[in-house]
Amino acid sequence: MADLSKVGTEYPPIVWEVERGKIRELAKAIGDFNPIYLDRDAAVKAGYKDTPAPPTFLTVPMMWCGKMPDFINDLKINFMMVLHGEEEYEYYQEIYPGDVITGIPKVTKMEEKTSKSGSKMDMITLEVLYTNQRGEKVAKVRSLLVERK
Amino acid sequence: MVQGKYFEDVNVGDAVIELKKGPLQKLQLVMYAGASGDFNPLHTDDDFAKAVGMKDGVIAHGMLIMGFVGQAVTSWVPKNRLKRLGVRFAGMSKPGNTITISGEVTDKRVVDGENIVTCSIVAKDEQGDVKVSGSFDAALPSKA
Repeated sequence: MADLSKVGTEYPPIVWEVERGKIRELAKAIGDFNPIYLDRDAAVKAGYKDTPAPPTFLTVPMMWCGKMPDFINDLKINFMMVLHGEEEYEYYQEIYPGDVITGIPKVTKMEEKTSKSGSKMDMITLEVLYTNQRGEKVAKVRSLLVERK
Repeated sequence: MVQGKYFEDVNVGDAVIELKKGPLQKLQLVMYAGASGDFNPLHTDDDFAKAVGMKDGVIAHGMLIMGFVGQAVTSWVPKNRLKRLGVRFAGMSKPGNTITISGEVTDKRVVDGENIVTCSIVAKDEQGDVKVSGSFDAALPSKA
């Protein structure tokens, strides 16, 4: 059962160097063959500085940094009972190969809810604000985790 | 379906997206695990998935289906015009499922000089079961 007193907790930053190959790999895994992700020249022709990161790219630093299990443990969430309920991205500017992005994870909301069927669950909102190597905001990720009880 | 990318051409109620993905293959789930770093065996190991109650074996990463949604959205509006994308994960997708993503304009307004369009999006399988639903905001150019 999640420890609802942990709301407001901020975790150590996720620092991630963005690689061209990772952008291409994610686009190909999705099956999105938009040339802006695969070919620098095509991206430049379409008005980008380089091959931009696809819309859901910020799942990569979160999953590859390997810290999600730490967050879940710290929040006293039962790993076997947790579901990914929602995911939202706000985009402030493009993420390009060579960028070093830093995300600050923060637990912004924790609440208990009762479903229509009467079962109780804890809803945990984790926000990560990412900035780049110039200190500019690039994106905000909001993830809703649902722990069934 | 509306192809127009100008703010003036887009109206509330317009259908704006239609993209069919799949059928989903196990190989794609392995590729997505490696690309995303989500190695939960629920998505790649049939024995594990069955042991935790998935009678048909592995299920797709929800984020892969959101990736399909991202592809669908950016096939309508260029990536650099997308301001927000949010989804709710409503159902599990399995190998063999064909996922169709569609969208509809729900609002248009001018905010701080930007022409913002909000659209609903939904991803359904071949039975019509909803896998992912949500919305996005995009800033469109004006003819003026």
